[in-house]
Formats: sequence, C-alpha cells, structure tokens
Amino acid sequence: MYTYNPIYALLIFIVVSMVIFLLFRPNRGLFWKIRSIYRIDDKIVIEDILKQLYHNEAKQIGINFLVNALGYRDSTIISGIDKMIDGNLVYFEGEHLTLTEEGHDYALKIVRVHRLWERYLAEKTGFDKSEWHGIAERKEHETDDEEAKNLASSLGNPIFDPHGDPIPTSSGKIAELDSIPLSGLKVGDIGKIINIDDNPELIYKQILAENIHIGSQLKVLENNTTRVTFYSEGEEYRLAPIVAANIKVLKVNTPEEILEDNVIRLTGLKPDETAIIEGISKESRGDSRRRLLDLGFVKGAEISIDLVNPFGEPTAYFVKGTTIALRDDQARKILIKKD
Amino acid sequence: MDKRNIQNIIALANELRWKIGDDFHDNLAEGIYADAAEIVEDAIIDKNRDRKERLDNKIDRIVTSRVWGFPIMFSILALVLWITIKGANYPSAFLADILLGDVRPMLKSFAASLNFPWWLSGFLIDGVYLAVAWVIAVMLPPMAIFFPLFTLLEDFGYLPRVAFNLDYLFKKSGAHGKQALTMSMGFGCNAAGVVATRIIDSPRERLIAIITNNFSLCNGRWPTQILLATIFIGAVVPASLSSIVSLGAVFGIAVLGIFFMFFVSWTLSKTLLKGEVSTFNLELPPYRPPDFWRTIYTSIIDRTLIVLWRAIVFAAPAGAVIWLISNLYIGDQSIAAWMIHYLDGFGFLIGLNGVILLAYIVAIPANEIVIPTILMLTVLVTGMHIGEGAGVMFELDSVNDTASVLKAGGWTLLTAINVMLFSLLHNPCSTTIYTIYKETKSMKWTVLASILPIIMGFVVTFVVAQLWRIFVN
Repeated sequence: MYTYNPIYALLIFIVVSMVIFLLFRPNRGLFWKIRSIYRIDDKIVIEDILKQLYHNEAKQIGINFLVNALGYRDSTIISGIDKMIDGNLVYFEGEHLTLTEEGHDYALKIVRVHRLWERYLAEKTGFDKSEWHGIAERKEHETDDEEAKNLASSLGNPIFDPHGDPIPTSSGKIAELDSIPLSGLKVGDIGKIINIDDNPELIYKQILAENIHIGSQLKVLENNTTRVTFYSEGEEYRLAPIVAANIKVLKVNTPEEILEDNVIRLTGLKPDETAIIEGISKESRGDSRRRLLDLGFVKGAEISIDLVNPFGEPTAYFVKGTTIALRDDQARKILIKKD
Repeated sequence: MDKRNIQNIIALANELRWKIGDDFHDNLAEGIYADAAEIVEDAIIDKNRDRKERLDNKIDRIVTSRVWGFPIMFSILALVLWITIKGANYPSAFLADILLGDVRPMLKSFAASLNFPWWLSGFLIDGVYLAVAWVIAVMLPPMAIFFPLFTLLEDFGYLPRVAFNLDYLFKKSGAHGKQALTMSMGFGCNAAGVVATRIIDSPRERLIAIITNNFSLCNGRWPTQILLATIFIGAVVPASLSSIVSLGAVFGIAVLGIFFMFFVSWTLSKTLLKGEVSTFNLELPPYRPPDFWRTIYTSIIDRTLIVLWRAIVFAAPAGAVIWLISNLYIGDQSIAAWMIHYLDGFGFLIGLNGVILLAYIVAIPANEIVIPTILMLTVLVTGMHIGEGAGVMFELDSVNDTASVLKAGGWTLLTAINVMLFSLLHNPCSTTIYTIYKETKSMKWTVLASILPIIMGFVVTFVVAQLWRIFVN
C-alpha cells in the first residue's frame, strides 16, 4: 500500500531528535546559548562591572581583570566603561577603576536585588541550592525598584541571604559581620558557620556535597597547610584549606552557647535509641521548615525510630505520639541530643 | 514628636533588627511550639506512648519488612485489579443487555411511532444515546467495584505504608512516595487518580503525579489490552501457552507504563518542574477498622458517580460526532471515510492505520468506546455486512468474530502490538483532561499533560514499526 524504506525513516527520525536535543537540552542547548548572547545589553554589562568593582573594592581593578572575570569581549567592556564614566559611576585612578559614590549606591542596589532573589529562591521555590546564584544573576538585571520593594516585603524584609550574606537595606546600609574564615580558627576553637560563599562555584559544590550547613556549630580538630579537620553535629569533616576558607564562621566564646558533643543530626540516631530534639537547622527553610514544626519536630520533643525502610530511606520516626516518615536530607537538618 | 525624632527611631529599629539577627522569628515560633508541647504533656495522658507493644506496630513490622513488604503489596494490588476486571464482567453484561438490548429497541420503536425522520432517530439514539449507554455499561461496574475496595484499603491505613515502602524509588525520580497511591488509583481511573493527588502536599511532586497519572493503565484500557493480546499475541504461541503469554503481554504493558511514569517523573523534575516547591513528610496513621457502609457510600458518591457523570457529559457529544461523521457525506464518501483516507498515510508510518487514529480522535471522551468505534469504522471502510450500520458502534460476542473483522481491516501482529502501546501512550480521556484542569487551574500544565503522552506514543509506535519492518519482515 505505502512503500518507503524504514531504514531511511528511522535515520531521519534519529537526526531530527538529535538536532532537537542539541538545541534544547537543559542549560547547554544551543538555543539557550544563542538566546543568552542575544540578551546581553549595555545595562547588564554595566551592572556586572559595578558588582565586580564593589566586591573587589580592596583590590585595584583594571580592564584586564574585568575581561577575565566577566568573560565579555574587550570591546563590550570598554564601551561599557565609557558609558559608566559618562554617567559618573566610575572614574580612572591611573590604570585602575574606582567607584564614585553614585556607582557605589548603584552597585549596592544590584547586590540587594541579587540577595533578595536568592532568598526568594531558597524560601519559595524548589530550585536546588547550586542553581540559586545563576538564576539570581539573571533576575537582578530585570528587576526594577518597585519589584525589588515588593519582593522584599513579600519575604518579610529579610536581612540575610541564604548563604548568610547580609542584604543591604533599600537606603543602602549593609551590616558588617566580624566573621573569620574557617581556616583561620585554631585547633580546639569552637565556631558557628554563618556564611558559605557561593563563589567560585566549584568549591561551593564541593561544600554542598559534604552536607555542611549554615548555623552548625563546629570544633576544629586539626588545622595545617594540607587540611582542616573539624567535628560538627556528630560527624567529622576533612576539607582542603582553600575550601575551608570559603566557609565563614563566628568564634563562639561564651560557654552557654557551646553545644554539647552529643548533639548530633537525626540521621545519627539508631533503632532502639531515644533522643530529645535540639532544634531545626537553618538550612531547612520556608514551607519545609514550617511543616516540620507543625508535625511536632520542636525543641524538647522526644524522638525515636519507629520503622526502618526496606530500601533504607525514608525512616519513620515516632514523635509526639505519631509516626512520621522523613527522608535523610530532611532528617539531616534536625538536631537531636542523645540520652 | 518632630520628624527627625521619628527618623531616628526608625534608624534605631533597623539597627536593632540587624543585631537581633535572623534567628529571632524562628526561635520565637519554636519557643511557642515547645511551650505548647510542655503544657500538653502535663495535661494529657497519652496512650500511644507504648506503641512498641501495640498491634499496630506488629503489623507495620510485617508490611514494611524487607521480606514480606513487597510481596504483600503486589498481591493486594493484583487481587484488587483481578476482582475488578473479573467481577465487572457480569454487571456490565447485565447493564448492556438492558441499556443496549432492551431500552434501545424500545426507543427506536418509540421514535418510529412519532414518525421521526431516520436522521433524527439515528443522531439521537444511535449516536448520543448509544455512546452514553455504552459508557455507563462498561464504566460503572468496574468503578463501583474498584473504588470501594481502594477506599477500604485507604481507610484501614494500609496505603500510607505502601507510600513508605516505595518512597525511595520515587525519590530517585524526583517524585513523592504518595505517588505510589495515586498511580495505583490510576489503574482504576486516571481522573480519580488525578483527584487523589490532593494527598500530596508538595506542589512540585503533586504536578508530577498529575502529569504522569495517565501512564497507569486504567479500567477503560485493560479490556482493550486483554482483547488484543488474546487475539493476536496469544495466537503466535502454541494453544497451551496462549493464555499465559497473552496475560504476560498485558502485564508487560502495565509494567512499561510504570517505567514511563518513573522516566517522565524524572525528566520533569530535572527540567520543567525543578522550580516548584518540594517538601516531603509522610504520616503513618494508626490502623483502624474501616467503617464499611460509610466507605461504600462515600466512594460511590464521591468517586464513582462524579467520574461517571463527567464521562457521560463528554460521551454524549462524542456519540453525536461518531454518528455524524459516518453519515454525513462529502462527495461520494462519508466524512469518516475521508478522514480515514487522510490519516492512513501517517497511521501506516507508525504501524497503525487511519481507522485506529480516527477512533482515538473521536473516542477521546472514553477509552471504553475505542474498540466499538474501531469495529464500526472498519466495517464501514471494508464494506462488510456486520454490525448495525454506519455510525452505530457495536461489539461482537465472540473473540473470533472480532478477530476476523480486525484482520479484514488489515491488522497484523505489528498493528496489534502498536495499538496496545498506543492505548498506553496517548492523550488522557477528556474526563481526565478536564479533571487535570480543575486540579491544577493551569492551562499550561493541562496542555502539557495532554500532549506529552501522545507525542511519546507516536515516537514509540514509530520506532517499533520501523524496527519491526527492518528486522521482522
């Protein structure tokens, strides 16, 4: 009835699906790349330069640094800088660029919007931690003052982003933190993690993979040029000093604040043991955190393992007279004190 | 108070906010919860304390155990499906006898006594009434058996344990363990499965469960699968093995559906749905004896009748369309014949034919009327003298007669396999589509949930057809 060669049909199909895949595969598809190139305009370039200058105020920044850091073409950067000088945002001091007061205010505004978006992504969406930064990088250029204000008030005017960085206020004030890098603590020191830098991405992902949480207390066991070892919430972590430097801590000195060594994560509980809940880690946010509180995972509640899953996960816990199953990534964010 | 003072106070307040820190709000909430918990502790004597000693816990240890957990789960599901499919045959035949065998001739003669022109009685009785009656006869009994059984299991408290056992697999594909329940519900009826996703409180996982529910082979499709497997797949092996092999083929299709469910869940959670909020917690309530009569009543009222009503609302216009396309002529051929003619080329490419594609287009309201429509259309285009005329759906009592009609329509083993695959992978029925819209309130997700499976169906049947033609003949 119909005649055609099935081999050709199949080949055409394979070629078409490969083309579609190459064009549209998530993140790396050609279509997305072309669209992102097409989207770059002066505003984005200027705002990106402002941010670089703001974050590196202590250093002396020249054009080469910007080209390396931002990955735009030289001509794009130079024309951007020309426009910024015209707009009185920056000026040259010899070879390097310095922010004017206006430029500084503008940069702070971008930083504010970026951190507000990260906070929003953390609390109100399901995007993975490792994606917050990239999305906020895009959104910060598209958000005007009015939207930023609405965003802030919908989040309850937060003062920290989910990495622990302070969010500048709308009037341009920013909190100073006297935090030190983890690698700066001495052996035996106790610290509390208040910030995990999401830049550079490679190191950030490494820290995420270790399940290190903001708000955790830690005790340094070893600190030398090859590694930093510390104890936190029932487990021992070993990091390269360069990785540890991206974790910022506050030194804990007052004895009342120091947690006992038997405060561990809920994942450390074994069947037939009971424990008292100590609290929920700051890494548990938004709806997820509220649900846990609703279900009775509150400070002081007694908890034990009720059922172990045939696959090993989730585990059913017995808390406040009910059996509730949690996956490990949630249980990890609940701190308990073993009897 | 002058303006400057107010400014100062605001500035001071802001500064204090920084100093109090981010924890303040959480600590307050936690403190209130903790205080409440302490008060409860003093005031209430909790009998659940010694849960370890109770029967609940002993049952739980068996149904979630490594050895017994899965066998118990699968046998219960298989039993429920078997009771539904077997048990529905008798009431279905009974209803068909009344609605199609008795009432329809009565309506016909009534119309004749009122001197209805042929087209009016054809349109109303052979079109609209027949489709509605058909849907009631084949849909009502299985739903009236499946839903109460399912609701009894739910009320007893067993279903959350299934979610608990299977959650790990669902977690791997970015979904929620409770999707195991909505998926099982989908084996009964996808529309009811979509409604059942309300038990999933996390938005992302709920959307995944809604969009992938269609991959559960529903009651309307089991009979199609069983019929085709019996006629075509059972026939290629010796008679002694044929029932086992055809049953295995149907089971294989259902398992394939589960595989697609996991695969699509995983893809969605990695792409389109990764931004939706995702939370997980699963309460395992104590077992309790179900309130039998209340369960029967509510499951029939809440689930069966609502779904049936929606199906009827959609079936009536579909019946009209089926009758009209077969009886309205353009030039020397009916609209149906023209459409079949145009669809034949594409149908052949994906190992189906124009009749099948047209049947799936007009039978969107209910999967149950796909086979009757295919039979009617096949007779229409081949010019056989079986059935009751153009636009009148029918089914044959004997499997052999059905086989001979289909074979006359040019069906081969490939056609049968691809129809079985296409029956699994095509757009949800209109009742389900409408339900998806009601549940998601979003055109975007409704369109995606409707189009995604049919694209997959085209791809899968296309690839199977080409490979078959290259390697088998």
